[in-house]
Amino acid sequence: MNNKEALVICRCEEVTYGQVFATAKEHKCTSRELKLRTRAGMGFCGGRTCRVMVDRIIESIVPNTEEGDIPLKYQPPIRPVTFGTVGENHE
Amino acid sequence: MIDVIVIGAGPAGLAGAISCAENGLKVTVIDEFVRPGGRLLGQLHQEPSGEWWNGIKESEHLHNEAQKQSIDIRCGVSVYNLEKDEDAWNVHTNIGTLTAPYVLVATGAAEFPIPVPGWTLPGVMSVGAAQVMTNVHRVEVGKKGIIIGANILAFAILNELQLAGINVERIVLPEKSPLSKNAGEPEVVMKSLLNAAHLAPSPILRFGSSFMKNEGFRKLGMKFFPKSGVKVNGTPLQLRKAALEILGKDQVEGVLTADIDVNGNVIKGTEKVYEADFVCIAGGLYPLAELTAVAGCPFKYVPELGGHVPHHSEKMETPLEGLFVAGNITGIESGKIAMAQGTTAGISIAKHAGKGSTDINEKLEQAMKNVHTVRQNAAIQFNPEVANGRRKIYELWDVFYGKEQDTLQEIG
Ligand SMILES: Cc1cc2nc3c(=O)[nH]c(=O)nc-3n(C[C@H](O)[C@H](O)[C@H](O)COP(=O)(O)OP(=O)(O)OC[C@H]3O[C@@H](n4cnc5c(N)ncnc54)[C@H](O)[C@@H]3O)c2cc1C
Repeated sequence: MNNKEALVICRCEEVTYGQVFATAKEHKCTSRELKLRTRAGMGFCGGRTCRVMVDRIIESIVPNTEEGDIPLKYQPPIRPVTFGTVGENHE
Repeated sequence: MIDVIVIGAGPAGLAGAISCAENGLKVTVIDEFVRPGGRLLGQLHQEPSGEWWNGIKESEHLHNEAQKQSIDIRCGVSVYNLEKDEDAWNVHTNIGTLTAPYVLVATGAAEFPIPVPGWTLPGVMSVGAAQVMTNVHRVEVGKKGIIIGANILAFAILNELQLAGINVERIVLPEKSPLSKNAGEPEVVMKSLLNAAHLAPSPILRFGSSFMKNEGFRKLGMKFFPKSGVKVNGTPLQLRKAALEILGKDQVEGVLTADIDVNGNVIKGTEKVYEADFVCIAGGLYPLAELTAVAGCPFKYVPELGGHVPHHSEKMETPLEGLFVAGNITGIESGKIAMAQGTTAGISIAKHAGKGSTDINEKLEQAMKNVHTVRQNAAIQFNPEVANGRRKIYELWDVFYGKEQDTLQEIG
């Protein structure tokens, strides 16, 4: 692997540019599918840093996708929370 | 009972909270940072008029005003979900769920990351992180730095680092790639910098402002752009050099660079290593709109505003009943504009809640006008086409919601 391919895109799940790029190239899929296949953006932070990059990789590979077309899909919780918090246990 | 929950204690959120309270509403403000002020806290620059814009002072001023109005401000609290049941919004936070009929989302902006090989080394940070460490926490980020990425935010923060006595050796571009997009293309970067001449008092950029608006001149200008760069407050801005990799064993030790052509392609054989003990990556800003997205607000992609923004009116309403927005979530602009938008949102909320005196409509018009005035006089403008972007979103609002509501009223 050269340095560019070994470049870490998703720090939480330690997914590299090489992995995300190769998967996108093979499947020519949506951002969501790319996330599910590589786990980029599915770690502790919820993709706060890497979601933009995952989207950009899709844009660069899948024909006719523009930055504006990729829907802004977010799911709660948008911040890391404990199960206790979600269960409304605030002790 | 809380009437309004404001998410974000930046200039937009605080100004919004103050104007809600002035009009008789009971307000709670939530922010995940340890103190109120948002991105204002890091800002320090001189306006063209010579006056200094000191963000910490501005924040303190807003905070005092808010306290006078008995506004409840809770810092260190994160909102992780926002949803509505029949008639009230539920704001889910790490200290429990708060409920109110009105919510103002003023969550500001976030930085675009530009990954560069080696960017996980200690000593690499976003340029915004360097700003917060320097101006808010007063921690020296390093002794010898390199900024990767040339944009207005990078220039503003370069000045702040210099004021703090921190040495920034050079500004280079990221290598052109699908991830850096046009942040790696010298000509595009040059074009985007033309309206930043006053922040980068250098002859070439000032010369640029008048001449380089012409594409032919710009190409020529880039072709003959000095290899050693032009000085921005003493720091060379090297638009014809790209960072290929950040080097170091346990922490940053340097940056491997190469010369690039006018289009950003690397010229082989020109590789060179520059020493550094910290690196700032400047990728630019986009509106941080996650909460309005989970709330179900529709979006529009408007490049002039920095990315996806929630549909909203000039009165800062969203299509969702009781949900309002203000500040950088509606488009990337400077702190003063965020404040003016916050005031508008506050008055707008008061109006919806049936509060305020008989002149509330007048006040609202006045506040909207003030946003324009502040924009026209802004010292920092992140996108030269921002006014166009604003127009697009308000037109969209009229098409989707304004007229529709009018006709509904006529029929109903
Ligand atoms: C790194 C950076 C540097 C900047 N530097 C400058 C500069 O030098 N000059 C300039 O004019 N403009 C600068 N800006 C632009 C800046 O966004 C505006 O000047 C202005 O601060 C925007 O005000 P705001 O109230 O919309 O958002 P902000 O000032 O960003 O305030 C938003 C607040 O919301 C809080 N928040 C966000 N999400 C949540 C959540 N889920 N739960 C709880 N709280 C939340 C944040 O903690 C933050 O305090 C900078 C922006 C950034 C991101």
